[in-house]
Amino acid sequence: MGSRKLSQKKEYPELPRKKLGPGWWLGNRHYTVYMVRELTSFFVAVFCILYIYQVAVLAATPGSYSQYLDLLRSPVMIGFSIVTLGFTLFHAFTWFFLIGRVQPLKFGGWTTTPVQSLIINTALLAVISMVIIGLFFLGR
Amino acid sequence: MSVAARLHALLWGVFSLGGFIAAFLLPVLIYVNNIADPLGLWPVTSRDPTSLLVTDQIIGSFFVFVAIAGSLFHGVFRFTATLGELGLKNQVERIVSVGYALIAVGILALLYYLLALNPSFVNMVLHILGVR
Repeated sequence: MGSRKLSQKKEYPELPRKKLGPGWWLGNRHYTVYMVRELTSFFVAVFCILYIYQVAVLAATPGSYSQYLDLLRSPVMIGFSIVTLGFTLFHAFTWFFLIGRVQPLKFGGWTTTPVQSLIINTALLAVISMVIIGLFFLGR
Repeated sequence: MSVAARLHALLWGVFSLGGFIAAFLLPVLIYVNNIADPLGLWPVTSRDPTSLLVTDQIIGSFFVFVAIAGSLFHGVFRFTATLGELGLKNQVERIVSVGYALIAVGILALLYYLLALNPSFVNMVLHILGVR
């Protein structure tokens, strides 16, 4: 009887749904944090496109590369870069926290919490960043 | 599982990998290249960090390729998906197509210019592809 019930496709009446506008996420703090986090990807994408352009200028027109470096020194670009770094770190820290919630690690009877995941991954970020800084010294 | 479903799962897997790359590799690159060096806080060398990375060392070019290609995929993929949540559901297929085109062009252009800047990086790429 139980299996018959499971195999039966039950139809549910469609419930009336409120149509959401583009600002639906502003009314709730959790939704706002979620959407701000998602929108930080815009800055990640723009930085990558600008960086590809920088590599292209270096490769294709080395003569004008110093002009591009001057552009990077402009207050607007430095301001944009600081905002981008802030959003990228926000994206990274929330990602580390989410990993701990979605995929906690188990060691025997002990399971990691999201805060522990955040701390461990932040320490890992610091170590990886130091290794990358070492790359710049290698190429000196 | 259908081909479309497998592809969908694969793309979300690459997106997730790109998330790790963007989280661990991108902040230090943004800081060194776009903040520390322009503000004169980077006394490592007289050369700028990017030319230092991509002209002389294979591992530097490899790092730039992984960091930028992975982060570009993650950033564009997530942003185009977010636009659907902001009320552009009717346009979402078109936006996603433009996003994939941007990712493909960006990654190919990056690879092309990195290979042009560092010929020894060609050998590494060919070795990875199994050509040599």
